[in-house]
Amino acid sequence: MVADIRPLAAVLVSAVAIVLIVASHRRPNLREGWSVVAALAKFGIIVSMLPAVMDGTVFAWSLRESTGIQFLSGIDFALRADPLGIFFALLASFLWIFTSFYAIGYMRGLDEHSQTRFFASFAASLSAAVGIAFAANLVTIFVFYELLSLVTYPLVAHNEDSEARIAGRKYITYTFFGGGVFLLAGTAMIYWLTSLVRSGPTLAFEAGGMDALAAAAQAEPVYAQAAFFLLIAGFGVKAALMPLHSWLADAMVAPTPVSGLLHAVAVVKSGAFGIARVILEVYGPGLIHDLPLDVPGIGTVGLNIPVAIVAAFTLTAASIIAMRKDHLKRRLAYSTTAQLSYIVLGLSMLHPYAMVGALFHIPAHAFAKLTLFFCAGSIHVETHTDYISEMAGIGKRMPLTMTAFTVGAAGMAGLPPVAGFVSKFYMLLGAGSMGGEYWLFAAALLLSAVLNVAYFWPVVYTAFFESEDRHDAKPLLEFPRGGLVESYADRSDADVAADGGQPTDGEADRSDPERADADEDGTDEYAVDEYPSDAEVPGGEQVSSVDHHGDFDDHLTGGPPADGWPRRSPSTETTWLMLAPIAVIATGAVVLGVGPDYAVFLDLARQIVGGVFGLPFEELTAVPFDRLVTEVST
Amino acid sequence: MSSVDLLLPLLIAVPILAATLPIALGLWLDRTGWTVATLTTSALFIGATALASIVYTRGADVTHTLGGYSREFGIELVADQFSMLIVLLVTAVATGVLAYTRRGGPRGNTFYTAYLLLTAGLLGISLTGDVFNLFVFLEITSLATYALVASGDGPEAAVASLKYLILGTIAASMYLIGVAFVFMATGTLNMLELADAIPAAESQTLIHTGVAFIVVGFAVKVAQWPLHTWQPSAYQQAPDGVTPLIAALVSTASAYAFGRLIVTVFGVEYLTAMPNAAAVVLTIGCVSVLAGTILAVIQTEVKRMLAYSSVSQFGLVIAAYGVVIAGRSETAFIGAAIHLVGHGLVKAGLFLGVALVARSYDARTVDEYAGLAKSRPIAAGAIAVLLLSLVGVPPGVGFVGKWYIALGAVQSELWPVAAVIFLSTMLTLAYAARLLEKMYFTPSATAERPHAPAPVATDGGDAGPDDSAAEPARDEPGAAIAAIRGDRSEAPVSTGMVAIVVLAALGAVALGFAGGTIAELLDPFLTEVIN
Repeated sequence: MVADIRPLAAVLVSAVAIVLIVASHRRPNLREGWSVVAALAKFGIIVSMLPAVMDGTVFAWSLRESTGIQFLSGIDFALRADPLGIFFALLASFLWIFTSFYAIGYMRGLDEHSQTRFFASFAASLSAAVGIAFAANLVTIFVFYELLSLVTYPLVAHNEDSEARIAGRKYITYTFFGGGVFLLAGTAMIYWLTSLVRSGPTLAFEAGGMDALAAAAQAEPVYAQAAFFLLIAGFGVKAALMPLHSWLADAMVAPTPVSGLLHAVAVVKSGAFGIARVILEVYGPGLIHDLPLDVPGIGTVGLNIPVAIVAAFTLTAASIIAMRKDHLKRRLAYSTTAQLSYIVLGLSMLHPYAMVGALFHIPAHAFAKLTLFFCAGSIHVETHTDYISEMAGIGKRMPLTMTAFTVGAAGMAGLPPVAGFVSKFYMLLGAGSMGGEYWLFAAALLLSAVLNVAYFWPVVYTAFFESEDRHDAKPLLEFPRGGLVESYADRSDADVAADGGQPTDGEADRSDPERADADEDGTDEYAVDEYPSDAEVPGGEQVSSVDHHGDFDDHLTGGPPADGWPRRSPSTETTWLMLAPIAVIATGAVVLGVGPDYAVFLDLARQIVGGVFGLPFEELTAVPFDRLVTEVST
Repeated sequence: MSSVDLLLPLLIAVPILAATLPIALGLWLDRTGWTVATLTTSALFIGATALASIVYTRGADVTHTLGGYSREFGIELVADQFSMLIVLLVTAVATGVLAYTRRGGPRGNTFYTAYLLLTAGLLGISLTGDVFNLFVFLEITSLATYALVASGDGPEAAVASLKYLILGTIAASMYLIGVAFVFMATGTLNMLELADAIPAAESQTLIHTGVAFIVVGFAVKVAQWPLHTWQPSAYQQAPDGVTPLIAALVSTASAYAFGRLIVTVFGVEYLTAMPNAAAVVLTIGCVSVLAGTILAVIQTEVKRMLAYSSVSQFGLVIAAYGVVIAGRSETAFIGAAIHLVGHGLVKAGLFLGVALVARSYDARTVDEYAGLAKSRPIAAGAIAVLLLSLVGVPPGVGFVGKWYIALGAVQSELWPVAAVIFLSTMLTLAYAARLLEKMYFTPSATAERPHAPAPVATDGGDAGPDDSAAEPARDEPGAAIAAIRGDRSEAPVSTGMVAIVVLAALGAVALGFAGGTIAELLDPFLTEVIN
């Protein structure tokens, strides 16, 4: 432990930026400049700690030692840059740099309202996310976890219409229930449990688990189990574990940069990260394995098994739900739900390989999913198209975007050479090494990969291999299972013939129930702005917006223009503010997959897992798992 | 040293004497009240700060025996670590609220007389060491409050005041009967003497009866469900400038007095052994938390909503006392003390903010708060911070109090109580988020305003009046607000009013970092009374 102000500085740099952003609200260029500067400064501060942390140094800052203020009696407000913390902070701050460029392009492209509030809340979210990464004990992580819920609420409710308000209410209810009720209750119980043993009350994270907790758990096993599940449920809300996941899909009413960085990376990963802290550094694999849970009818199982079952169920179920979502961002949201459960599943399998896979999946998924969201957002800004069924042939219009989308989708499915393959490979290795019932989890992982292909391939297929006037309904996806006899081509052809060249008219009364809802919801907007794409796209100009942010409301405005998608070159498909981040992040996903040994994340993951088990990672593989957990726990 | 303990009677006597000044000077001068009140409360705040620094640095109580009679016969004033927290809160809030009343009213010299009497009564409650004297100060406080509530506009204020008067007097009588029973059993009224005499008393039945009366009396005074009915109408009907003072301090002082009786007079050990005492207090507290919140959620008036919120927040304090009794938990007591102070500060700030909004726009219902963030960003921001502190979002002060109370319940293994306390976050969020959403994410002047501006009339009832009425309102909220709120928009809101709300918000966050400090300050007191 080296006392250092840098963990605090990394948290505060974007908090300072909030003040500057608000102060310069009349000068948009300066305001967005602060976002970029803060992002670069934050990344710089975190990178400056990276080499030392990889050599085993831990930088720490504590409120009591630096100012003498005691936060709560017996509990310090402390930050600590350890390998796990820097792992998450590095990822979030790196991706923030590109997201802030992208957000500028996105918000300006749509001429959004309340941009100052948007950028200020965004900076605040990053502050809170890095705070979660560097938190040194359960109370500190709770503080930042609650603040993160709070500052992301304005981003979800950004549209200020009733749909956004309802989504916002749901969001804040779920996240505060997770944080303020489950997590706080778990934290209080851990504090109480550890106060029962001689080493005294503590909440500080320790690699491999808290010793005091391990001692207390022997005396009060039931309460220790209850606290474990409370903590997992508390973090599980943000990690969108079923049945606590449904806020995530609704939160997609937020502007796409929010859905991208926060609801695919910073916010939801903070939940997964919290679960990692609980499993690796509060309880530790040894204690989780040795504190068996008595299930009537089945016998005793480790505490990790229920968590793993929930995660395996979530990743399968969410993938199946995703297949039937026609709204692209919602499909991505369910994909996020599934992918986060990969992380939770990997962690809860407890094997070192699975853990490395799970940890590496945090950046692997982040890069790929951010690419996908960026692509969805850029399609929305350029063409106002949100529904996959309207994207036939869009590959002509946005070639580079859809190529990047393909890369991201391959990453989701775990296809080499994208990063998702590496993490999934490690997790499968871990499941295989554990053997026994863990084969079921391996099967879930493999099945999910197939499902991933099943819901992403249609998007790629329709974009590149179908055309506006000739595309079919995807039998599994949009129509009742098994498909209908009619298809898009029949219907739209007939309509075009009948009403003289307004194919979107035909699309308005298709038979899908979700679309019927959409029509009802959308009538207000419809009256205001019926065919903005018809009005403006043929000239090749960017669509000027009324107030469309990517949900049902603007369904009627999307889709190809009357004479089909114009063919564009990569250099003119959208602004460089959005295209460059897409290209960089997609490249990052491939780099992580091709050379994981040269990108820092895999090394960090190995170091974290080595620290948890108290051995260098290379030696862990030689030790049988049972000896590993028993030796660690003693 | 002898000069230090003189501060105690001065803290009580000075406001009582100063209370006569506005009336006396009013014979010659108009509007002296504010000046007198400001000078007096500022002096009290300085005096309280000086006394607090002595109490906390010396680590010993400061006592003063009135008239030199020893405590067996006379009245003793005591400043210890617990009472000084409340004294500081009372003097600080009493001074701060004046920043609003200077321009926001109510005006008139008699108002400031009642104001100073109320302050004196509250300080008396905090400092007295005698259970009968406590009754006297409770009555002074109540009488001043009745007068202040009645000074609100219209007959509703008179009704509210009468209701409060009847219930308040019954409560005070209950307390007095309880004290009488205890006096019969022990023969003394001094708190410290009682602490020794009560466990030794022969007739325990008398004391048990006394406790029962006292608990009911305080349940009314602290406004616990179902005895809370005086409180929402009193808060709502009192003049805007008075509500912050009453809401922040009156019930707080009563709750403090209840806590004082529990830990100092009866003693935790004695009450733990008394059958059902813990269960009764816990039940009162927990039920109030739940009932108060439900009632708060269904209110449309902001002041009433906050009033019911007080029912539930004091429920937390009473539940904490229950945990103290049931589990002999020091932690829960620290939580109760912090929550008393924190809630007082937050409620004062919130009611000041509400008063400010009411004064600028005449907006009193939750719906009328729509779009406030755009028209008054600073005040709305401060109200938002205060609301979030109330919910218990860290690092606000509400979190600190809740943490200690919840931890106390967990340590005592009172799981249902712990569950209620953890859930109270969600319950508080239910009404706080309603207001937040209105302020920040609801455009002002949409269809829910029945008297929407002119466009409907001008376009002759065509098919599109709805659209045309709503559209300009959404695009330029400023114009619509001006149209609706125009007649009152010249009403001045002084910088002082905004500043005091912001100050309260900053204080609520700053206290959020003081959880450890306050616990340390209370530590000598707790080791004395609980172990």
